Amino acid sequence: MTNADSTTSAPVFSVRNLWKVFGPKADRIPGSPEADLSAEELRARTGCTVAVRDVSFDVRKGEVFVVMGLSGSGKSTLVRCLTRLIEPTAGEIAIEGEDVRGMDRAQLRDLRRHRAAMVFQHFGLLPHRTVLDNVAYGLEIQGTGKAERRARAAEMVEKVGLAGLEGRRPGQLSGGQQQRVGLARALAVDPEVLLFDEPFSALDPLIRRDMQEEVIRLHREEGRTMVFITHDLSEALRLGDRIALMRDGRIVQCGSPEEIVGSPADEYVRDFVRDVPREQVLTVRRAMRPAVAGEAQGGPALSPATLVSEAIEAVARSGGPARVVEGGRCLGVVDHQRLLAVVAGIETEKVAA
Amino acid sequence: MSAVTTAVAKPDAGAVHTARQLLVRHRGLAKLVLLAVVAAVVVPMVNSRWGSGSWPHALTVDPSGSLGKASNWIIDNRDSSPVFLYFFGYVSYGVGYAVRAVYLVLLALGWTGVTAAATLLAWRFAGLRVAVTALVSLALCGALGMWVPTMQTLALMVVAVLASVVVGALLGLAGGLSDRMFRALRPVLDTMQVLPAFAYLLPFVWIFGIGVPPAVLATVVYAAPPMARLTALGLRGADAGVLEAVTSLGATGRQRLLTARLPLARKQLLLGVNQTIMMALSMAVIASVIGAGGLGDRVYQALSTVDVGNALAAGIPIVLLAVVLDRTTAAAGARLGSATVERSGRGWPVWAGIAALTAALALIGRLLNSASWPGGWTVSIAAPVNSVVGWITGHLNSGVPVIGGTADWAAGFTTWVLDPLRGGLQGLPWWSVLLIVGALAWLISTWRTALTAVLAMAAIGVLGVWSVSLDTLSQVLAALAVTLVVGIAVGIVAARSRRVEALLRPVLDVFQTMPQFVYLIPVVALFGAGRAAGAAAAVAYAVPAVVRITTQGLQQVDPGAMEAARSLGATGRQQLRQVQLPLARPALLLAVNQGVVLVLAVVVIAGMIGGGALGYNVVFGLAQGDLATGLIGGTAIVCLGLMLDRVTQPAAATKER
Ligand SMILES: Nc1ncnc2c1ncn2[C@@H]1O[C@H](COP(=O)(O)OP(=O)(O)OP(=O)(O)O)[C@@H](O)[C@H]1O
Ligand SMILES: [Mg+2]
Repeated sequence: MTNADSTTSAPVFSVRNLWKVFGPKADRIPGSPEADLSAEELRARTGCTVAVRDVSFDVRKGEVFVVMGLSGSGKSTLVRCLTRLIEPTAGEIAIEGEDVRGMDRAQLRDLRRHRAAMVFQHFGLLPHRTVLDNVAYGLEIQGTGKAERRARAAEMVEKVGLAGLEGRRPGQLSGGQQQRVGLARALAVDPEVLLFDEPFSALDPLIRRDMQEEVIRLHREEGRTMVFITHDLSEALRLGDRIALMRDGRIVQCGSPEEIVGSPADEYVRDFVRDVPREQVLTVRRAMRPAVAGEAQGGPALSPATLVSEAIEAVARSGGPARVVEGGRCLGVVDHQRLLAVVAGIETEKVAA
Repeated sequence: MSAVTTAVAKPDAGAVHTARQLLVRHRGLAKLVLLAVVAAVVVPMVNSRWGSGSWPHALTVDPSGSLGKASNWIIDNRDSSPVFLYFFGYVSYGVGYAVRAVYLVLLALGWTGVTAAATLLAWRFAGLRVAVTALVSLALCGALGMWVPTMQTLALMVVAVLASVVVGALLGLAGGLSDRMFRALRPVLDTMQVLPAFAYLLPFVWIFGIGVPPAVLATVVYAAPPMARLTALGLRGADAGVLEAVTSLGATGRQRLLTARLPLARKQLLLGVNQTIMMALSMAVIASVIGAGGLGDRVYQALSTVDVGNALAAGIPIVLLAVVLDRTTAAAGARLGSATVERSGRGWPVWAGIAALTAALALIGRLLNSASWPGGWTVSIAAPVNSVVGWITGHLNSGVPVIGGTADWAAGFTTWVLDPLRGGLQGLPWWSVLLIVGALAWLISTWRTALTAVLAMAAIGVLGVWSVSLDTLSQVLAALAVTLVVGIAVGIVAARSRRVEALLRPVLDVFQTMPQFVYLIPVVALFGAGRAAGAAAAVAYAVPAVVRITTQGLQQVDPGAMEAARSLGATGRQQLRQVQLPLARPALLLAVNQGVVLVLAVVVIAGMIGGGALGYNVVFGLAQGDLATGLIGGTAIVCLGLMLDRVTQPAAATKER
């Protein structure tokens, strides 16, 4: 899922020092001493809740950027601030360099119509419209002609695997099917970014897995930028190119799944990722050590992106250490000891790549 | 109460302490004690100054003089003042013109065309069964010789309902989109909903005189509130998630309203239309007193000469009209929910077909030269019904062995219940009535509510109709007691037996759709004219609602709690007494509140059949052109309604609504 050019191109969303405070006189809170109070104390003293606190991040073109955190950590608020469905209290948001907070109503509508489309946890479908008309709704809002929008909607319905159900109403669909309609509705307007707010939380585990596959497939086929909110760590690890971990409105760590699992920023994150099967997230790049005499020649060769679980298999088969090779150069080796240390979660000094 | 007051008065520290504990624990007691203390201070003062009899004359203002002058001024200036010429005049003219136009269209369609149109529309909106009902109903209207008055009522209804729906929807739109508007509208709509229809008539007569325009306008004012209320609630209740999704796609405010909010609220909108139609019919019939004409007028004329046969002949079409209108609109609402009807594409050919068929049948009627219902096809039921009524008067009214007779019952009810109650109420010192009203309202709700109730009651005294109003109040209380006993008992039985409920449901459905006015017909046949007959009509009108609310309340009691009680081995009776009734308390309170509102509505209309009291003041005012008396009576009815509603409306319910 990683795109080679992801680090080089300009960010789709660039967020700097974003605050969202709910409550009376909210604009006085950001930057003031009150902002450092605990949530209860702040509420008692000012009646305000800080949902997003001084958050900064970039979403790069073509990546899946996952925002993860427990319930109430401010994820939904954050993603709604991106298109100003919730008006931010302070900070800057730019979409491809354009200032979002400075947009007037028409510009904002244009942003919502063409550039960022959202998929919601509770679907948000119009119950009185058929599947096809729901999918075509975004285009209808834009003023697209009937024949054209219906054709495009039919294409999208096909794409999300709902062919044959065009005439049904949302009430006659299962939860998973309804969310496919939500997804198709967002895709139909051909947005630059897809925003997902816990889209699969209301679905049962099997359907959820199906839908995750669907998103992975779409991303692979179209390479669309996605911001994906979830409270489910395994979902975050499956989908995310990068993950931002939120707690009490703050981003406590932002990095690749491997960074989050391999080097948690603090106790909170460490707790969070404790039960993750590390060998399925970490790669040999993180597990290897420098080769000592002779090791650089023999043994099986692995690419640095190989998962530890796969390396274990290779090492077990060959009986000796395996080489990590990139572009014909040996970066280091992994042996039983290093691999077991990863599985056991024992910190080993990292080798510079 | 006295025990607690003495406990507080005692200087003994222990007793004071326990009393305080008692008060803290029972907030009701605390309120009563506070009230008792206030009363102990105020009452002697008031008493020494104004005495303890009926409302003191010194505290009344007699507005009839100035009202009389005002109405004389209106009569003198109706044709010359610019306000009347350029505003009320045009309104009156426009409304009258619209009703005439609709009436002419109905006449032009002839009975064939109207019947075809009604049947086809019912079929389109509600399916075959309702279509057959509509067909049979209209045929019956014709057969009873009531075709012309039915068309008159229908013409008035069409105009009034259209206006009510438009006005209500606009108000509801404002209330649904603006919080401030909603806060301002809500108490007004809530209050209008509890006021008796009769109270709405006078102001319109005052300004417009007697005739069709004031009848239509009174109907609009009476029938628009439910539409406004339901529109506002529907718009506000729209799923926030859907609206957010719509916004996230870049919809403008107007797009959001037209493609999401209104369609999402369409169930409530249709329910609003349904309620508006039913209320409009109810009012259109009552408005015969101010010259609406049509079916209501036939009933009114017949009742005033105790001609039950003719009253029934006009009453049956009213009921049929009510049933058809209710079923059609209700079924249209239910269909929306099931969402099986595919609207697009098939829509206009169906409408064109309906129009073509109607036109064809109207033409056939024309060619056969029978625009109005053929005279040979009518049956006069007046004579046979009157002979049955004669037989009832002769045989059932009195002297039936063991059970007595209906007139005996009525007389007994009047002598043993109504008279003592009225005497008792009128004998109470005026300040004690205020105190009781205040105490009741405060116990059940907040001090604001209590203040409103007391002020409403005091206003009655100030207007100088204190003892007449207590007469009305005595009838309301007597009828309410019977209503609650019967309604709650039947409700309990229905809640415990599926079979009884299934049997009752259609009966309740019909009873609840019938306009208030119609209830006067059978009670006059059975009990003759008088206060007891009025009370009987009120009971008949209010019982179905009480039964329904009680049944629903009992059935909705948490099944978990019932199961727990059963698992502890409670008998059926214990379950009812210890679990169901206490848990259904909110529903029972609501039943009382509804009962009061409905009973009052009919008790005042019974002024037309000898119920006397405030209702008679209104009727008298209308009949004699003594608008001052009528207006004061109407205002007192409003105050009484307000007071009774506030006294029976629990605080929680006020908050929830
Ligand atoms: N409209 C609002 N008014 C006041 N407080 C709000 C509002 N919306 C959210 N909050 C508060 O902001 C905080 C963050 O809410 P948010 O919905 O963003 O959390 P979340 O991470 O999406 O949680 P979940 O996983 O449950 O959806 C919470 O404490 C919430 O109570
Ligand atoms: Mg959320």
